[in-house]
Amino acid sequence: MTILLQVLINGVLFGTMYGIAAIGLSLVFGTMRIIFLAQGSMIVLFAYLTYWLFTLLGIDPYVCILISVPVAFMVGLGLFYTLFKDAAAIEDKNVSLLLAVGLMYMVDNLMLTFWTANPRFAATSYASYTIRIGDVNISFVRLMALVIALLAAFVVFYFLKRTRLGTAVRAASADMQAVKLLGISSNWVMAVAFGIGIGLAGLAGVVMASVYSFDPNYGFTFALKALVALALGGIGNVWGALSAGLILGVIESLGAYYIGAGWADAISYAVFILVLIFMPNGIFGGRAAVKKV
Amino acid sequence: MKALYRRLGHKGLISLGIIVAALAALGTLPFWLDVDASYTGYYLFITCVYLTVAQGWNLIAGYTGQISLGTHAFFGLGAYTMAGLWLNGIGLYFFFDVTLMVVAGIAPAIVASIIGLLLLSRLKGDYLSFGTLGLAQIVYVLFVKGGKITGGANGIYLDASYFSSMRVYYWVALLVAVLATLAVWLLTRSSFGLALKAIREDDISAASHGVNVLKYKVLAFAMSAFLAGLAGSIYGYYLFHLEPASVFNMNWLFYPILMVVLGGTGTIIGPVIGSLICSALFAYGDIYFGGYHPIFSGFLIILVMRFMPGGIMGLVSKAPALWRKKEGAVATTTPE
Repeated sequence: MTILLQVLINGVLFGTMYGIAAIGLSLVFGTMRIIFLAQGSMIVLFAYLTYWLFTLLGIDPYVCILISVPVAFMVGLGLFYTLFKDAAAIEDKNVSLLLAVGLMYMVDNLMLTFWTANPRFAATSYASYTIRIGDVNISFVRLMALVIALLAAFVVFYFLKRTRLGTAVRAASADMQAVKLLGISSNWVMAVAFGIGIGLAGLAGVVMASVYSFDPNYGFTFALKALVALALGGIGNVWGALSAGLILGVIESLGAYYIGAGWADAISYAVFILVLIFMPNGIFGGRAAVKKV
Repeated sequence: MKALYRRLGHKGLISLGIIVAALAALGTLPFWLDVDASYTGYYLFITCVYLTVAQGWNLIAGYTGQISLGTHAFFGLGAYTMAGLWLNGIGLYFFFDVTLMVVAGIAPAIVASIIGLLLLSRLKGDYLSFGTLGLAQIVYVLFVKGGKITGGANGIYLDASYFSSMRVYYWVALLVAVLATLAVWLLTRSSFGLALKAIREDDISAASHGVNVLKYKVLAFAMSAFLAGLAGSIYGYYLFHLEPASVFNMNWLFYPILMVVLGGTGTIIGPVIGSLICSALFAYGDIYFGGYHPIFSGFLIILVMRFMPGGIMGLVSKAPALWRKKEGAVATTTPE
């Protein structure tokens, strides 16, 4: 029983990463209909930023959030205006998908060339702290990851629901044509959504560097997992994406413990395909009409 | 000759001449170039393997408008099917067994039909990409964890003493690539192809005109998986040692896509041009740039998609309009 509880908690804590990444993907996909496969590579890139800031300058990873997230947001705006602006406007989604693939390929291999495939980890003094509740051990940095993820989800949720720009982003997800007719700059709305998406990748990068050891090859796997969480949570649903990330973490953690570590991936993808087939609106989407994308 | 001229016209006859000349040159290449000693032999072999996969992806994505991201799974399945059957002594006993290669194509086609039916019957567009990507990862894990049946992460070893010369490989790959291109070309000119294009442009409209959208999508998807599996079996014969990390490599997904897109999606010549250029970049990039070439490949994908999303064929079809514009005529079409 204790083991089960421990496995569950580890799963939830591990899933926070997927959750943060999925919220970002959800914003990007919702407004632009782009499958941003490079999200994982962006996370690893910002994990490296955190790692180098910590290793070279001794800046604490949690302080890095103040640097990493704004930088990531700017990178997002830059990427949008240089690469994705025109691609988002055309009907053929091959273009934007392949732009993301090219970006992923380039970033992954740049990191591989310059920073090698050695696993890295921001080994802070508190990295190995654990909090003991009953018989269950909870790692401090992982708990912090969950807190950060919840805060991030809340901020994004607040932004979407309570600000004018956020409302525009939501409106753009619902009907881009109508948004344009209302005289809202669709490019700016998409740019902001994209910026926040990459900003969340920056946040996930900080979490990744502070909790796990990572290497450049992680990017693609992470992008896939974030996609799975996105599909599970339903598109355009902040809390759905976060919860789906946590659920995915639990599924993987249970699968790894009870079936075998190598099988965790296959199990999460199998769940993914089953959900796509039988609950295309995501597990929180109910039985409403399938939104044809 | 006159009847041919009437049927093809001036341009068609020239194209036919070029194609026949190119095929004659490529077909007889091993007689005047030592394909074993020259790197060109390997380059053209791998180009043909890529081209077969690329034409398959072109059929489903270019002509039908459904982006599949599971090509590498079908490719690997094809390679493993061939190897598994060969090792168990099923099929006729000669190298490059046609029945084995066809079965190696059919196996992934069946998998594609099942997943295609399940996914496409209820969902459209991006969900197929998600689903096929997930499927590919599952297949990969199944083969890594397959234990004795699949050889696990170490894979399967075939009898490498069958290797005699690159010539056989070259001819088989060339023949298959030509047949694949021909098949896709004939398909797209038939009523089947018309249905596919109708689905690509507007599937609701296609359905209301009596096109069975699901049937055609699944058929095109299965065809594309068949070609990937066929190419996989050829590459399997070349490798002799199949391991999940090599035959299920993501490169078998991204490279063919890059080739199709660089050449021109939804054109028959585009993938041919694209695969010739890209394999040259990858093959010679390895020699001249070493480990750096994937960076350039990624950068190249970005450049192409950013500045010429229509690919080379897109530029070619636009070229006359640009030329007219220079002479002062008004351009009538604006790029969307």
